[in-house]
Amino acid sequence: MIVGRARARPRALALAIVLAGILALLALPVAWARPPLTITVLMPAPFAEATADTVAAFNRDHRRLRIAVARGPFETEAVSDLAISSLLLGDSPYDLLMMDVTWTAKYAAAGWLLPLDDWLDGDPLAGVVAGAREGNRLAGQLWRLPMLASMGLLYWRTDLMAAPPRTPAELVDRSKELQQQGLVRWGYVWQGRQYEGLSCVFLEVLRGFGGQWGGTAASGIGLDSTQATAAASWLRQLVETGVTPASVADFAEPESLQAFASGEAAFMRNWPYAWKELQKPGSAVAGKVAITTMVAEPGQSPAATQGSWGLSVLRGSAHPAEAVAVLQALTGEDSQRRLARDWGYTPTLASLFDDPELRAALPLLPALRQALEVAALRPITPVYAQLSDILQRQLSAAITGGTAPQAAMDRAGRGSRAVLDASGVEAV
Amino acid sequence: MGERRRSLLVGVVLIGPALLLLLLVFLWPMASYLWLSFHAQNLFTDLQPVAVGMLNWRRLVLDARFWQDAAQTLRFALVSVSLELGLGLAMALLLNQRWRGRGLVRSLTLLPWALPTTVMALGWRWIFNDPSGPINGVIAGLTGSTVPFLASPSLAWLAVVFADVWKTTPFVALLLLAGLQMIPADLYEALALEGGNARQALLRITLPLLRPYLLLVLLFRLAQALGVFDLIVVLTGGGPASSTESVAGYAYLNAMRFLDFGYSATVMIGMFGVLLLLGGVLLLVLRRPVRA
Repeated sequence: MIVGRARARPRALALAIVLAGILALLALPVAWARPPLTITVLMPAPFAEATADTVAAFNRDHRRLRIAVARGPFETEAVSDLAISSLLLGDSPYDLLMMDVTWTAKYAAAGWLLPLDDWLDGDPLAGVVAGAREGNRLAGQLWRLPMLASMGLLYWRTDLMAAPPRTPAELVDRSKELQQQGLVRWGYVWQGRQYEGLSCVFLEVLRGFGGQWGGTAASGIGLDSTQATAAASWLRQLVETGVTPASVADFAEPESLQAFASGEAAFMRNWPYAWKELQKPGSAVAGKVAITTMVAEPGQSPAATQGSWGLSVLRGSAHPAEAVAVLQALTGEDSQRRLARDWGYTPTLASLFDDPELRAALPLLPALRQALEVAALRPITPVYAQLSDILQRQLSAAITGGTAPQAAMDRAGRGSRAVLDASGVEAV
Repeated sequence: MGERRRSLLVGVVLIGPALLLLLLVFLWPMASYLWLSFHAQNLFTDLQPVAVGMLNWRRLVLDARFWQDAAQTLRFALVSVSLELGLGLAMALLLNQRWRGRGLVRSLTLLPWALPTTVMALGWRWIFNDPSGPINGVIAGLTGSTVPFLASPSLAWLAVVFADVWKTTPFVALLLLAGLQMIPADLYEALALEGGNARQALLRITLPLLRPYLLLVLLFRLAQALGVFDLIVVLTGGGPASSTESVAGYAYLNAMRFLDFGYSATVMIGMFGVLLLLGGVLLLVLRRPVRA
């Protein structure tokens, strides 16, 4: 018994050694072929879908480099919350971040972004259309490259009128006429909820009345001005006169789109994405819609709030060179062409606006370019979120009739000044 | 003496882990927030804490928005928790009676509580929608016009209360039902023998003996309601005109959007102070011994 066991042991040992040897041989090639380097990009879910083809093509062409897209939430600010949470914890799992234009200054001030100038040759913004160029370079450094543009547009019904209104008064008169004739229930729908969209709506109207949002703290960054009061009063009157439904104070993009797509309104303010939605089978206005720029007082230029998306490299990335390569691929011409052709997103590269293939696929392109040329930027400052929050709060009070427009704008100006004074940021 | 000391030791060992856990997940964060409230930690301090003494607290006292939010949060908490207690008590009393189908109804009533808040808030957002929501469908059918529930500062907070009451009343009912089942039946029998009626049974037996449960539910619900956040974010986003903004929402804005962590901590600790005060008063009022 004992002898037999002793003999069995060396045999088992020998078997184990042979097995280990085979395993080691098998593992060798795996050890030689290092796994490809993965660059992770955080994007809002819709863009993760829209860039899937570009990402797949990139991963096919590169053996040593892979792009992994992390799908963020749908809502813009929720993406920022997710990114900020990970950045605050110090070790962010992302190399690249898809950024809204209003975040850049805040993220750069927080020290979370990698300045791109050292990594890119020449002027990386040279090929970008003027309207999408701003908001990327701050304090002499480039922090972000634009990937797609988005601007506020005025949608109008071609079956109800031959040409769109050009002034605020025209828009109101036309609306009332159509409402009286019983052709539409509402004249004009827009985004009046207390959120970022309201600031975007207001900026366009303010510009149309000859005002500015921004400038020095001393001027209340343009909010305690007669133009700002005129703009806020106009929005309030739209509600008061029934051109706009009272429920607009709870309207974000989907609610305004719903009202307009059901054929209940003559005009809508929305972003370019709405176009495709309006052509879908469920829409009552498919083929009866055109876009133009927002109305403006006679002598004033119309304005379109710029809401572009771009990419930034996070400073914590362990592989900045590769991250920059991915950034270039995703913001490059091929990527933007796919985004425009297959998904209807507005490109930021000037060359694409004259591309015959794109012009055929996207008949809207000339109108979009026209809107980009009058793009208006929201104040570029690290404290933008505070300034916009103050404005939204006061505008919401003015629209719902709780505060007179002039008092609301005075308060917004005072509040903005206080924020800027406390932060030490002089001008925006 | 040795016996007593040993039992004391056993007691300490037994509650030790719970105490440690409480210290770790409750006291430590509270203490660090309190510490942070005396510091500036924002974009202009490179996100590093810098001691600023009472600056944040001075700002809080003068911050009209904080006090408006605190008042709104208190109003929300008091109104919704009172409604939940009243309705929950009625539901518990009903579910404590014997009737056919009680088991089914008992499980069905729990459904709202089982739904995630964000999902049910989206549902209510649609129900309150003007003009397409079902409530406005009925109103339009009756009057010809619609009511902008979520777009009117005087109505939006009521919509928030309504949604909260709908969701949390089952939770209140469940806890009170557990309390009701702890009341011995012979008390009611004795009262019946002495010729007492149902009203007396409710006022003399049920409510006094339910008091510890009522207190528990009240504290639970008040603490939750005073920290209301997700329901409001989805239902109204704090608007219109900030009429539904809660203190938790304001603290969140300061931290996650403005990256002003020092002030955000001050807002939270400030509200915690209000909650502590309120809880103390409630305990004093409700924790009187049960009269014989």
